[in-house]
Amino acid sequence: MTMRHVPVQWNRTKLLYDAVLLVAVVTYVWVFIRVAPHYADTTRPVDDAILRMRAFGTCAFLMLTVILCIGPLARLDRRFLPLLYNRRHFGVLTCLVAVTHAAYVLSWYYAFSPTPPLEGLLRANASYGQVLGFPFETLGIFALICLVILAATSHDFWLAFLSAPVWKSLHLLIYPAYAAIVGHVVLGYLQDAKNPTFALIAGSGALLVAGLHLAARRSGHPRTTEPAADIEPGWVPAGLAASIPDGRARRIDLGHDERVAVFRIGNRLAAVSNACAHQNGPLGEGRVLDGCITCPWHGFQYRPEDGCSPPPFTEKVPTYRLKVANGMVYVHRTANPLGTPQPLVPLSGSDEEARS
Amino acid sequence: MTASYDSQPSVQDAEPFFVGWAGIPARLGPFLGVVALVFVVGMAGASFLISATVNDPGDGTFRWGWGPQTLTGILTADPYPVLHITTPIDNRRISQGQSILLSGFGKRGVQDRAAALDGQLVQARGFLLTRGEIVMLQANGGADGLRAIEPKPDAVPVQLPESHPLGRWRIAGEICDGKCVVGAMRPGTGLAHRACANLCLIGGAPPVLVATDRIEGHQFFLLGDADGGPVTDAILNHVGMMIQVDGVLDLVGGLPVLRIDPVTLSLP
Repeated sequence: MTMRHVPVQWNRTKLLYDAVLLVAVVTYVWVFIRVAPHYADTTRPVDDAILRMRAFGTCAFLMLTVILCIGPLARLDRRFLPLLYNRRHFGVLTCLVAVTHAAYVLSWYYAFSPTPPLEGLLRANASYGQVLGFPFETLGIFALICLVILAATSHDFWLAFLSAPVWKSLHLLIYPAYAAIVGHVVLGYLQDAKNPTFALIAGSGALLVAGLHLAARRSGHPRTTEPAADIEPGWVPAGLAASIPDGRARRIDLGHDERVAVFRIGNRLAAVSNACAHQNGPLGEGRVLDGCITCPWHGFQYRPEDGCSPPPFTEKVPTYRLKVANGMVYVHRTANPLGTPQPLVPLSGSDEEARS
Repeated sequence: MTASYDSQPSVQDAEPFFVGWAGIPARLGPFLGVVALVFVVGMAGASFLISATVNDPGDGTFRWGWGPQTLTGILTADPYPVLHITTPIDNRRISQGQSILLSGFGKRGVQDRAAALDGQLVQARGFLLTRGEIVMLQANGGADGLRAIEPKPDAVPVQLPESHPLGRWRIAGEICDGKCVVGAMRPGTGLAHRACANLCLIGGAPPVLVATDRIEGHQFFLLGDADGGPVTDAILNHVGMMIQVDGVLDLVGGLPVLRIDPVTLSLP
């Protein structure tokens, strides 16, 4: 949670996460350029520079594939949520790996020429009107620019500066970037590969990303019941109060992409926006820890009574009015202004019963 | 106005709840350990499979180990500079009558120096690149790399290499830059290498057609236009891919030269 912005707010979980990432990348590159070539059936070895550019290029592709699988996996199975926690470091490392790939390409294929490397990159192949022989490098450049933008704006400073919705929209660039990388691979490296190994790995990865997103989208639709009849204008039903487990929430879909999370804290209820102020994480899938509503994505916390993060933190989410009648919870459709105190509502609808 | 809500709580009671700053719940530790192991081992396995199954880039290579070589022969400048050996070198790596492609350092040709030496007896010095039947000399810079020499008084007069017509052919294969394909890069062929090949060709490297089948015993063909001049600009959109092209084939000295009609370039 943010009080002031520091480069990285390290903790043990992030250190472990980053250590696993580094081990995976170093192992990948080492196996690619030092181990596997001994087993390759080649008359003479592939150039070291080309091996390195292939190692970093394929590694970046696979890393991005894994990154894009994390979101839907966490939706489908909450045990994967910890992988989401530090995904930004995963993205930044992927960007560095991709930049290393580009640096090797520029310093080998575009070096030793009277044409400057960057000019050569844009001019050497200009066959934009054909599929076979299309300048697939431009797709790679586009993807790299996207990755650099995402990495550069990954810090919470930019999240606060741009606001969560704008930041989230900007970071959807990851999808066109991935599509461009798939095109970069298909129109480039795969055109030459006589062995189908990489085609199978890359194709499986891309299909896995698409399949998991479809599955997560399908499972993400809330199970609904019909709204109760005879409700007053502005009040929408939220089910039986007693069926909300203590410390958990029930999400209410108000329509127009607005969701409310109704939390039970002991014998009382509170309603806040379902979207965490940090990254729009699903607060309704969180829990109440130490008396605070806690986001499952990054652990940002809010007081149930006013939607404010406990001092010294400054994040806020809107609260909503609640009432309980005949055991049913009702939420008012209109959000309170940020920071508005909203008394918790007894589970039974009256304070006398709540105290008993 | 309607609304909907989850009919069940979104979290099961038995599920451990992960909060990053609070550490990993003990019950999630083994699962996450397996995930980390699968990730690292999976990446390593993919790396091995991809790297161990690369295409064979062929036997082309710089012959750095042979040291700098000094060759003597007749230089022809068109369509691209070629040295037709008149005097074999002592180590027998290069024989009389052999035709050697010429290039400069990096992605540069030697057209500027060769134009003034066309048809003359020339001494060329530099490093050799070889791939099968095709040989290239990367000439040193300036007069050390290429210079005209006087024939010995008792030597036979300088004669241009003979040209033997081999007829008109339609040949399928890949157009490459002559320097990378002969070993300056491994691999020096294919679409992934296309931009590099184009830069070499634009810089003056000779274009070579690598045929899918041997024609008259040859697999590598130096390309020129119908008049025997350079053809670089007309082929740039077809480099690095499988194409077919019509042309007139001549054996000039020891080198097959295909004088192509660029409008016949097409996918096979």
